[in-house]
Amino acid sequence: MPRPGFVLEVDGSTPPLLFHSGEGFRLEKLPAGRSRVVYPAEPLAPLDDVDGAIRAALLAPLGDSAPLPDLLHPGMKLTIAFDDVSLPLPKMRRPDIRSRVIEAVLDLAAAAGVDDVHLIAALALHRRMTEDELRHAVGDRVYDAFAPSGALYNHDAEDPDQLAYLGTTDQGEEVEISKRAAESDLLVYVNINIVAMDGGHKSTATGLSSYRSLRHHHNVATLEHSRSFMDRHRSELHHSNWRMGDVLKAAGVKVFQIETTLNNDTFGLEALRGGGPLGMLQKREWEWTARDRAAFVAMQAGLGRLSPKNRRRTFQSWEAPYGVTSVQAGEVDAVHERTLEHVHAQHLVPVEGQTDVLTMGLPYICPYNVHSIMNPILVMCLGLGYFFNLYRGRPLVREGGVLIMTHPTPWEFHPVHHPSYIDFFEQVLADTTDPTEIEARYEKQFAEDEWYRHLYRTSHAYHGVHPFYMWYWGAHALRHLGQVTIVGGDPRAVRRLGFRPATSMADALEMASDVVGREPTITHFHNPPILMADVT
Amino acid sequence: MVASRVVPGRGASVGPLRLADVDPPEPPGDGWVRLRPRLAGICGSDLATIDGRSSRYFEPIVSFPFTPGHEVVGDLDDGGRAVLVPVLACAARGVEPPCRQCATGAINRCERVAFGHLEPGLQTGFCADTGGGWSTSLVAHESQLVAVPDGLSDEAAVMVEPTACAVHAAGVVGAVDTVAVLGAGTLGLLTIAALRAGTGAGVGTVVATAKHPVQRRWAVELGADRVVAPGELARAVRAATGSWRLGAQLTGGFDVVVDCVGSAESIAQGLSVVAPGGTVVLVGMPGHTALDLTPLWHRETSVRGCYAYDRADFEAALDLVAAADLGRLVSATYPLDRYPEAVEHAAAAGQRDAVKIAFDLRGERRR
Amino acid sequence: MKRPSAGSVTGRVGFPYRAPTVPAGVKVPTESEALGAHYDTRWARSFGARWARTVLLEGAVRPLVRLVADPDRRGYDRLAALDGPVIFAANHHSHVDAGLLLSSLPEPWRYKVFTGAAADYFFSNRVTATLSALALGAIPIERSEVTRRSADEAAALIDDGWSMVIFPEGGRSPDGWGQRFRGGAAYLSIRCGVPVVPVHIEGTGQILPKGTKKLRPGRTRVTFGRPLRPADGESSRRFAARLEQEVAALADEVAGDWYTARRRAHAGTSPPLTGPDAGAWRRTWALSQRRGRPRPAASPPRWPKL
Repeated sequence: MPRPGFVLEVDGSTPPLLFHSGEGFRLEKLPAGRSRVVYPAEPLAPLDDVDGAIRAALLAPLGDSAPLPDLLHPGMKLTIAFDDVSLPLPKMRRPDIRSRVIEAVLDLAAAAGVDDVHLIAALALHRRMTEDELRHAVGDRVYDAFAPSGALYNHDAEDPDQLAYLGTTDQGEEVEISKRAAESDLLVYVNINIVAMDGGHKSTATGLSSYRSLRHHHNVATLEHSRSFMDRHRSELHHSNWRMGDVLKAAGVKVFQIETTLNNDTFGLEALRGGGPLGMLQKREWEWTARDRAAFVAMQAGLGRLSPKNRRRTFQSWEAPYGVTSVQAGEVDAVHERTLEHVHAQHLVPVEGQTDVLTMGLPYICPYNVHSIMNPILVMCLGLGYFFNLYRGRPLVREGGVLIMTHPTPWEFHPVHHPSYIDFFEQVLADTTDPTEIEARYEKQFAEDEWYRHLYRTSHAYHGVHPFYMWYWGAHALRHLGQVTIVGGDPRAVRRLGFRPATSMADALEMASDVVGREPTITHFHNPPILMADVT
Repeated sequence: MVASRVVPGRGASVGPLRLADVDPPEPPGDGWVRLRPRLAGICGSDLATIDGRSSRYFEPIVSFPFTPGHEVVGDLDDGGRAVLVPVLACAARGVEPPCRQCATGAINRCERVAFGHLEPGLQTGFCADTGGGWSTSLVAHESQLVAVPDGLSDEAAVMVEPTACAVHAAGVVGAVDTVAVLGAGTLGLLTIAALRAGTGAGVGTVVATAKHPVQRRWAVELGADRVVAPGELARAVRAATGSWRLGAQLTGGFDVVVDCVGSAESIAQGLSVVAPGGTVVLVGMPGHTALDLTPLWHRETSVRGCYAYDRADFEAALDLVAAADLGRLVSATYPLDRYPEAVEHAAAAGQRDAVKIAFDLRGERRR
Repeated sequence: MKRPSAGSVTGRVGFPYRAPTVPAGVKVPTESEALGAHYDTRWARSFGARWARTVLLEGAVRPLVRLVADPDRRGYDRLAALDGPVIFAANHHSHVDAGLLLSSLPEPWRYKVFTGAAADYFFSNRVTATLSALALGAIPIERSEVTRRSADEAAALIDDGWSMVIFPEGGRSPDGWGQRFRGGAAYLSIRCGVPVVPVHIEGTGQILPKGTKKLRPGRTRVTFGRPLRPADGESSRRFAARLEQEVAALADEVAGDWYTARRRAHAGTSPPLTGPDAGAWRRTWALSQRRGRPRPAASPPRWPKL
């Protein structure tokens, strides 16, 4: 029986705590008596028969949707959209759940005699997926069946001929999505809902849309009013997407939504039972066995010997043995509400009251550096965007409080994946770190740069405007926090971000006392595996 | 007289420069007067000479032993102060009639710099007959003197000569939309100031490269729209011009690149970020370099030199120095007997938070 | 020196070093009961034999298979939800199949598996019987008829947690096309309540077809299908037919693309394993048309190595 997440009060005999720190780890002591640690729940029991569950979900959908076989008929246009390489994190051990769902859908389509099928990686303004990544996501059989004829491809948000403008919401937000998806008789969207933010109407309205449409919710005002964007009912980002969902419905886009949830088995449950190299990362420190400790020490020593390049490669090659905890299919809202229950069951941890100082260890990966480099902008986005927003109710840290993160934050960028990030870092952040000012002064120039557009469409680059979204993602946290410190980061890069570098946790806590006074309360956010704080 | 003298035949390791008591130079003819330096700057070309990095090209147009120092403000016997126009052109050399270039006023292009009644020497400070600024006394031809107004400090006045170079460069650049200035040492910073002073008749965007924080600060202060690290220039130019990339080469680029560094790397970088049909202006003294000229050929770009100034540039520079208060760029002064420290400081100016280093000769013994 | 001829050597070695000659008019009783379908293979599942088999499989069979058959193995993902004993039922072209399939089985099945082998072929004498039992973990199966004895033995092993590899065609293909599936695998699946994994093997027919002795190294593909379970009340004959169709669909998938294969499988129009119902030359002709799609090359990284 997996144990739920919980809050530990740190006392004198609490062992040092694990902090992720890029391609490495730190063990840090927090002061006793005023510190606490929020631990994630252990992995929920996975479904035994995933294929059976998929089939059952397709045959008995939720909400007012007919079973999938009834929606399929010969001569129809069927489009299957699926989440891109940004999900799940880290990537899932084969077979990826997307491939299993897509095969089940296609098998029904084959039975119904559907000929015209397109599969689209719904990557919005993310980088195009490579063949290997697509094969991993949809499986070799599906790839080989559809890619050679051009029926399996990456969404292109900059191809004017392949976008359909469907009108505006009651608040004037323009809705523009993939023409193929809009003109299909049925759009099946296959989600992996790794966190509560994913899925719902956001899948289609964001994943298959264009800059023209995205800018209405990917902006500073919206994201500052998404408290948090992980809490769909209190997220302006989601409200906007839901309004767009209504426009899609009104325009006759028929969406059959499939959402899947995974458990927290990020580093290997079998490792918990005594094998595997990374199991200690999802154990509580006082439960580390001699073997875990030996493995950790050996890993630290080994990592220290690797070049940064090899260290990165080693980490990026990790494939998580997630178990699938649920599969929902049918009408978007009904599906998504059920999905949220499953996500919350795994992630939510009740926490009482806010804290003065929030600490978190940033791991080696975020949604935008799969097979890539976690550059400083992504460090900001992971910490102040994703982790900060993993709350329901109120932020874990009080307004004006201090956030301390551990990450090496190297001044390094992937030249192919993140070209506009380099310019953003060199030009925009050198000038200002204020999201509103950045948005007003620079966004248009980057969004419309022909060169970025070219790289996005033909190479594997994130769209020119993408680094701005990373910054907006952290806008709410930037406004909320009194100080941000990165322990162990490259001082130049950290300062460029507008944060303060510290060499040790002790220094960082000392620096925090300037902002929150002496003897502040401290909370450590022990993530990943993912947890979401339910703060009362 | 005390003077730092460059003596040939010494190894570059110990340096050909030494401090010595020598006889003051005698005026070589009519129209020559004595100038007693008050401040004398250390220029990049001086450092190259001291380090033995200068091109062999200079051999016929300098004469040894010489006293360096061509950025000079000094006292005249009549009690006034003057800055030196160090170019030793036809007028100073007693060449009559003047060469074609001097006849038009382009004294920097004088065709007789090794002839006439003086020893060879393109400028005061490289000529055996005239003495130089790093001393207590030199001789100058009347045509070489520009009076310093009373309100102008010595520090400002010593900046006039390098500023004249920058003014000249700005004139070469002309009125264009986009200019990149490579290097933010004295010359780079002054070029930025000159481009912004309107002497360049309205330049649109100026992007500069700078290695050191002090250079960044000054570059922004003097009017650069954006200051970047040298490695960031290509991206900055690309973003500013919306151009595309082909390997290291931008498809578009800036109209003019002013190279105030003069190294092989900076010239190559200039060629990679200059627009097709544009010009790379070499203001910093280049040396012997290997360059791939294919992009120059294919993109019809030009590389052109830009040396010194004429009298008009000097007049304009005097105004600019006063208007922009460029005396602030003099970061430190040294007495002559601490010349090794001075030279070292000048060679590492950016790292050590400095721009212009000068010798202060106002307190030297007069003998 | 004159070398002794073989005859002279054997001539010199007499009884009891040679089998006795039989006097005329004496009736010799038929071969020992302990061969053929009656061969007792229990010893081959002892600890020592299993260990030896593992060594043989990993140390000899796998490298040999890689050298000779260069297999491309697909479809493991379809086995993700499976555990416990299963029956792997594959089409059969060549003697290479058994080694290829055994070395292709994923864990945990690889080391606890036995093979159903033709009693009349593999267990015809003591040497081949011992070798088959040891190397393939084979048990004798009567192919002329389903006998109680072999079925009981196989069922007992499956109930005991062993998985089975069986070639339901009952023999190697005579001409490159498949033969109808017999009911053994289906029967055992129904009887023991374990799933059957259809497996398609392609390419071994070119390496060592029936009737040849010379190995011609080539490339092969092993494709695992989705596990099948008998429907309620399904007869073993019908289940066997379904199994055959599923392997035919796998063959179609290998030859073309997965989706088209599924379309045809659902429509019941998968090209049959047994080939066209036509004259010999046309069957051979049609066989040459069935060439699998080329293997995808490993895609090189498209950005600078960082």
